[in-house]
Amino acid sequence: MTDLLRQHAEQQYAEELAELAKTDVRQRPPNWKLSPWATAVYILGGKLENGFVVTPKYIGSRRLVEVAIATLATDRALLLLGVPGTAKTWLSEHLAAAIAGDSTLLIQGTAGTAEESIRYGWNYARLLAEGPSEKALVPSPVMLAMREGRLARVEELTRIPADVQDTLITILSEKTLPIPELDSEVQAVKGFNVIATANNRDKGVNELSSALRRRFNTVVLPLPATLDEEVDIVRRRVESLGRALELPTEPPALEEIRRIVTIFRELRGGVTSDGKTRLKSPSGTLSTAEAISVVNNGMALAAHFGDGRLHAGDVAAGLLGAIIKDPLQDKLVWQEYLETVAKERRDWKDLYRACKELQD
Amino acid sequence: MLTLLGIRHHGPGSARSVCAELEKLRPDALLVEGPPEADSLLPLAAHAEMKPPVALLLYPPAQPQNAVYYPFAEFSPEWQAIQYALRQRIPLRFMDLPYSPPAVDEAEPVPQPPSLDPFSLIAEAAGYADGERWWKHFVEQRRASGDIFQGILELMSALRAEVEPNPFPTAAQDLRREAAMRTIIRSTQAEGCQRIAVVCGAWHTPALLHPEDYPEDARRLKGLPKTEVAAAWIPWTYSRLARRSGYGAGIEAPGWYEHLWQTQAQIVESWLTKIAHALREEDLGLSPAHIIEAVRLAETLAALRQRPLPGLPELNEAVQAIFCFGDDAPLRLIHEKLIVGQRMGQTPAEAPAVPLQRDLAAAQKRTRLAPSAAPEMLDLDLRKPLLLERSQLLHRLNLLGIPWGRLETRRGAKGTFHEVWQVEWKPELAVAVIEASPWGNTVLEAAGHKLCADAAAVNELPALTRLVEAALLADVAEAIPILLQRLQQTAALSGDVSRLMEALPPLANVLRYGSVRQTDASLVQQVVDELAARICIGLPTACLALDDDAAQAMFEQINAMQHAIEILQDEAQSAAWERALQQLAAQEAVHGLLRGRASRLLFERGEEEPTARRMSQALSPGTPAAQSAAWLQGFLHGSGQALIHHPRLWQVLDEWVAALPEAAFTSLLPLLRRTFSAFPAPERFQIGEMARRGGERAAAAAVAHALDAARAEKALQLVWRIVGRDAP
Repeated sequence: MTDLLRQHAEQQYAEELAELAKTDVRQRPPNWKLSPWATAVYILGGKLENGFVVTPKYIGSRRLVEVAIATLATDRALLLLGVPGTAKTWLSEHLAAAIAGDSTLLIQGTAGTAEESIRYGWNYARLLAEGPSEKALVPSPVMLAMREGRLARVEELTRIPADVQDTLITILSEKTLPIPELDSEVQAVKGFNVIATANNRDKGVNELSSALRRRFNTVVLPLPATLDEEVDIVRRRVESLGRALELPTEPPALEEIRRIVTIFRELRGGVTSDGKTRLKSPSGTLSTAEAISVVNNGMALAAHFGDGRLHAGDVAAGLLGAIIKDPLQDKLVWQEYLETVAKERRDWKDLYRACKELQD
Repeated sequence: MLTLLGIRHHGPGSARSVCAELEKLRPDALLVEGPPEADSLLPLAAHAEMKPPVALLLYPPAQPQNAVYYPFAEFSPEWQAIQYALRQRIPLRFMDLPYSPPAVDEAEPVPQPPSLDPFSLIAEAAGYADGERWWKHFVEQRRASGDIFQGILELMSALRAEVEPNPFPTAAQDLRREAAMRTIIRSTQAEGCQRIAVVCGAWHTPALLHPEDYPEDARRLKGLPKTEVAAAWIPWTYSRLARRSGYGAGIEAPGWYEHLWQTQAQIVESWLTKIAHALREEDLGLSPAHIIEAVRLAETLAALRQRPLPGLPELNEAVQAIFCFGDDAPLRLIHEKLIVGQRMGQTPAEAPAVPLQRDLAAAQKRTRLAPSAAPEMLDLDLRKPLLLERSQLLHRLNLLGIPWGRLETRRGAKGTFHEVWQVEWKPELAVAVIEASPWGNTVLEAAGHKLCADAAAVNELPALTRLVEAALLADVAEAIPILLQRLQQTAALSGDVSRLMEALPPLANVLRYGSVRQTDASLVQQVVDELAARICIGLPTACLALDDDAAQAMFEQINAMQHAIEILQDEAQSAAWERALQQLAAQEAVHGLLRGRASRLLFERGEEEPTARRMSQALSPGTPAAQSAAWLQGFLHGSGQALIHHPRLWQVLDEWVAALPEAAFTSLLPLLRRTFSAFPAPERFQIGEMARRGGERAAAAAVAHALDAARAEKALQLVWRIVGRDAP
């Protein structure tokens, strides 16, 4: 056991990676630790020839994972897009762990990310004492990855200011990083590539210039495909979170979770689950993560103010908060939903009433 | 010698192999899987004006709606084989069972077991997700043919030996079909043809190999129903090819298949270039560099999946990741255009008549409404079945763009059961009938399909409502649920309450007067309920921050809504409407005109106490004068008569005026004057009289009714003449 709060993917799944490498006889692109095929098995899970079972890391479309891996094999950079909570970072970490054996060359994109974090910085004490030299140079994760033929990860690419983003253009197209101060450059070794993630809800923040965009293949990670899949994700997370927070509540009834997930999916998708009625969608994301927090919130309410069991009344407030992000438009959407959908469902009477009470 | 060419319908790879094989074989007779009744139409396939996609249509003349279609595209192996035979002038014949009506889905209460595709078994054995993929991979994508047909025959023999004891759901029908095919092969052999080539679905090949070994065929084919059928070539489209048709399952990507057929080399590169061009037209900036990258990704993906060549899935994924930046919306944009394709076929003018023409002729006979070049007026009393049917026919033809009749007066002008039509048959209408024929084989069916297609194309609520009205008038019952569903969907997405309000009143009319047209309007009820609920929720917000013109428009709509709600006589709706009006009346930010109107409507619903309060608030000095004036205008709009005859309304207004302090009254006078000056002079006079007498209507009325009996008698006589009776 380790006392680290969280391990890197390549530490946590070291055994699986080792087993895969052992049985993997397919051709590997230069400097790849695993073949593209074995990488797909690592991400999606499967059983090896020697009977070793690889756990799935990403549950979802096989197609998307294949496109992502093929992209990295063509030396084009990979951009993972998705609304918050769709496992973008998770997938990028595991891809880097499987392909390069190292997921730590990471740049966290923020509004304050400067060019130095992407290219290189200086150790100013040394720079002043000795003048520009290799030793005074502080390499960025990207530079390290280029030197060693590994994968660099850029998180939240669209939050980085546009001029700093564009630093990546030369790196991605020429595969070189010039250092004019030393009159030298770092040329990327084979195997180098970049995986970036971005939130496609925040498009407006710092949208990629089309020149940079052209250097990326884009894979959009979707929200869970089916109701059952999503209910399952919510249930697992809620249970583990409930344990962590030590809430004295019974685990919530599957029915209640299903109802919440149904509401989220219907509003998000703009159509009822039977496909008969179209609905307006509210302005928020309504991601799986938010469904989890609604259930959690309801459980806390039930534990501290209720009878310890999750009732409609406990989730109503959380639902309202999650759905109504824009007080005017979203409220209409929600009211319409209540009146045209929720009201009609016979076993939703309690929820309908609880929500109506909150509103009036 | 009998050579069997097992194919997959509409497979370009199969077509290529068939062409090569036929060139090599040089057969002296060719048999193609297809309807034997259409043999006589085969020579037309070589006509210069014949352009695939086309379909052979087989239908019993009495029931054209039971037609079956056999579509052909340029890349269909059958089509290429037919072309070869016609070029070489060798005997060419279709072989299959004679026509039998297609199974009607509704007639079968038990859902069919999932049909077992033989190829899915092979695909499963080879590790593919489905049979389609497998076939595409091993047969369609082959560029060189080699001994492929021998291989297919052997594979199918093995497969059939494997599954024969465990027959497919359609096995009985398949066995009968194969018996019919063998019979035709035997008769062709009997005619002395030496080298016969047979083009048929791969699955049938093992059963046709030794046609002489099946003595039980005659027994199997005995007692089959014989139906008289007519056949015709009709133009087809790729989008219809993509649906289910006479040859079983449709194909998903005719456009891609056409590309595979027409392109000899660099399939991937040219396909992606085509897509890039189409996307450029949609304003996506794509450079050759994008295409290069997409080709590389598609090829890497194919390698990752161990395919020799990228297929459509790989290409689509590459397009999405590189051309569309991960978004699948642009891909959907070009799906119809490229992947399905928009090609429409063409048939020679001398091809036999289409079923729609026959159905129209039958309908004309039935309704005793002969086409005539002379214009004629028809007054149709819709309570009489024959005349109702005429009206429906004319409405349906209008829907199909065949304007035989023009509706002169809408119902309503002469009561709800009369229509006046001007009918005139013009020669060009015959062309319109042909043009409308792809929509369906009977007027009713075609009108239904056309309506659904129109509904899919419009996004405006009022336009949809008009379509619903038209569908009800034409009594196209099938289309109505679809139209209403579309209406429902559009209404749900529409943020524009005024559009919803425009849509509701016509529907309310339909509900109210639907029985006259013998139409089941219960479906409408649900849509009306939803619309009303949405309107009542959205109305208060929609009325915020309107300028004078917008408020005037909304004012009219609120009145129309009020009328509709009254017609509907539904308590829940009425209550919701009342709540909406209350909110409207209470909101400060709503235009005065609307608040005034809402207050008035509430007053008529019996809210007297709140009305008095609302009135004094709206007209108190704190409110800007213009808003007060608008409020009063809205409140009293067009109600000079109501003031005279509605004592409580009079009372509320009178009490308010009486309670005003003198200074306030003076400052309000212009507003009151402005509102009252809109009433006609006699009404103003009466109101004045009433005010003088303290609101006693009887007295005022007496003044107005001081009659001159002699003059009244003259007027009465005229009235009787207008009514059309003698004076009593």
